[in-house]
Amino acid sequence: MGDMRVVVGGLRLRNPVIAASGTFGFGAEYAEIYDPARLGAVCTKGLTLMPRQGNPPPRLWETAGGLLNSIGLQNPGIEAFIREELPRMKAQGITVITNVWGNDPGEYERSVARLCDSSVDAIEINVSCPNVSRGGPVGEDAIRTAAVVRRSRKVCTLPLWVKLPPAGGLAVARTAQEEGADAVSAVNTFRGMAIDIKTGKPVFVNVVAGLSGPAIKPIALRIVYELAAALTIPVVGIGGIGDWRDALEFIMAGAHAVQVGTANFVDPLAAVKIVAGLEKYMEENKITDWEGIRGNAQQ
Amino acid sequence: MAGKIEVAAAQVASNVRVAEGIFLLKLRGDYSAAPGQFYMLRAWDRNPLLSRPLSVFNLDGDGISFLYAVRGRGTGLLSRLSPGNEIGITGPLGNGWPRRDGRIALVGGGLGIAPLFYAAGVFSGSDAYLGYPDEPYLVDEFARVAARVMVSSDTGAGGTKGFITDIFDPDGYDACYACSPRPMLAALDRICSRAGVPLFVSLEERMACGVGACLGCAVRTVHGYARVCRDGPIFPSSEVMWNG
Ligand SMILES: Cc1cc2nc3c(=O)[nH]c(=O)nc-3n(C[C@H](O)[C@H](O)[C@H](O)COP(=O)(O)OP(=O)(O)OC[C@H]3O[C@@H](n4cnc5c(N)ncnc54)[C@H](O)[C@@H]3O)c2cc1C
Ligand SMILES: Cc1cc2nc3c(=O)[nH]c(=O)nc-3n(C[C@H](O)[C@H](O)[C@H](O)COP(=O)(O)O)c2cc1C
Ligand code: FES
Repeated sequence: MGDMRVVVGGLRLRNPVIAASGTFGFGAEYAEIYDPARLGAVCTKGLTLMPRQGNPPPRLWETAGGLLNSIGLQNPGIEAFIREELPRMKAQGITVITNVWGNDPGEYERSVARLCDSSVDAIEINVSCPNVSRGGPVGEDAIRTAAVVRRSRKVCTLPLWVKLPPAGGLAVARTAQEEGADAVSAVNTFRGMAIDIKTGKPVFVNVVAGLSGPAIKPIALRIVYELAAALTIPVVGIGGIGDWRDALEFIMAGAHAVQVGTANFVDPLAAVKIVAGLEKYMEENKITDWEGIRGNAQQ
Repeated sequence: MAGKIEVAAAQVASNVRVAEGIFLLKLRGDYSAAPGQFYMLRAWDRNPLLSRPLSVFNLDGDGISFLYAVRGRGTGLLSRLSPGNEIGITGPLGNGWPRRDGRIALVGGGLGIAPLFYAAGVFSGSDAYLGYPDEPYLVDEFARVAARVMVSSDTGAGGTKGFITDIFDPDGYDACYACSPRPMLAALDRICSRAGVPLFVSLEERMACGVGACLGCAVRTVHGYARVCRDGPIFPSSEVMWNG
């Protein structure tokens, strides 16, 4: 039988399938359906130093093959997470990656330092949320990204991943690598919008919202392919992954691991079915470990 | 209250039109639910992307049923199901109505009558107030499970002409459970709070996960944003911010 385990930027995973930030809460809800410890890891909802109430409704809009969301990082804050969610997650045997967002580099630093003093397993700094600031996210700008990653790295004693926006380009990814990121995850949602033709107004209060789901997969795959070629640190592939075939495409493009987001809404068992599908694929094709296929599509 | 959430392939027992654009879908099998809970349904592969939330209309020895109006693509596809077809369902989801002693009034407007049928069966002795935009339907069925049935409609067909709020008087009831479009719920909130009768409302929001993980179905309450799918869909009316 193939070895499903993988090490991604210093983090050991039992398999390469991770529940994506914001689509799996803190693992408690889906735990009523299956054991989240069967996944490689669970990436938490984006956390901030102070609690955030999130954006006014509507927060969701379905599109052809996709989903627009404008949640606005509603979360209980890092202290409440550490007190109320983390002990349960660890007791369930879940490998915990915390997704973190900050208003400025100093806030990222304080959040990362606090989390490194807890039992989380890795930190994914989110420089790519489309729903909390007007204009593009920090991760679309190499200089601003450099400051965030540098300050976070200085205090981070755990594996540090940087989650990139689709429009960051290779320059931002290289910056994250130079400033000491252990891995990059790509991509966050694409900035999109919808207009309600009955009112003639944008559907979302913030106008712009984040697009996810099958609609973004080919673009996300192209970005991951380019990042894997350009970087020496591992890439975690994200974007429209719906089944094990999609996951395999990202691995063949060069991803060390994948994250499954919107697919959890389509089928609550999607992520755990992808684990099973990959395992079966390995077995049927006599693949002993991920080295055997990772990046095989690269020219 | 919520038991374990089941993800299942269910078999259609029947799918009949009960009024213009309104269907009753029955699925065979052994399911569970409390009155006011809902399921996420899908009878398609990837288009539309998301599953559709429907309240439990009834639960009996043969299976579970849902009453729905054809609105768009999702409910349109549901309306084309035939006996023997398989569909995916996830549930039961949400909190359901609280159990209260005493006289209960069930008040529904439009498709809001859907979750009240099962409630009438479980909370026996309840009175049902049903408001229809056009021709009333399923009134005889309600009469079999509710103590009394009062009907209103916009045209006066089959009952009193007007809104359900014109014929519903909360006086003498110990609690009121309601489901309808939001303006009627807001009106009921005023009527019930004036009479000092606790009102519990079933709210709707667009949903993605349906289980409480995505925070997409937020509604404003006095405690901040709550998830309709998890903290609701039933809320004490006194906790809902009716002005937005
Ligand atoms: C908890 C809950 C219980 C419900 N119970 C019933 C029921 O028992 N019977 C019934 O007829 N309808 C019920 N609805 C409304 C029903 O889910 C929508 O009418 C249905 O999703 C429309 O899907 P569509 O593809 O046909 O329409 P479309 O308009 O194409 O749907 C597009 C999107 O809007 C969403 N949407 C559309 N209308 C509503 C709405 N009123 N509330 C929430 N989301 C909506 C859809 O889910 C989808 O994401 C319920 C909604 C919720 C939230
Ligand atoms: C409802 C929702 C909430 C999300 N919240 C976050 C978040 O808090 N932090 C983050 O980095 N990404 C967040 N994302 C982005 C996802 O983690 C993922 O990058 C994106 O959805 C693309 O993957 P998918 O197509 O598999 O969903 C969210 C996505 C959705 C749909
Ligand atoms: S629909 Fe996801 S939290 Fe309610």
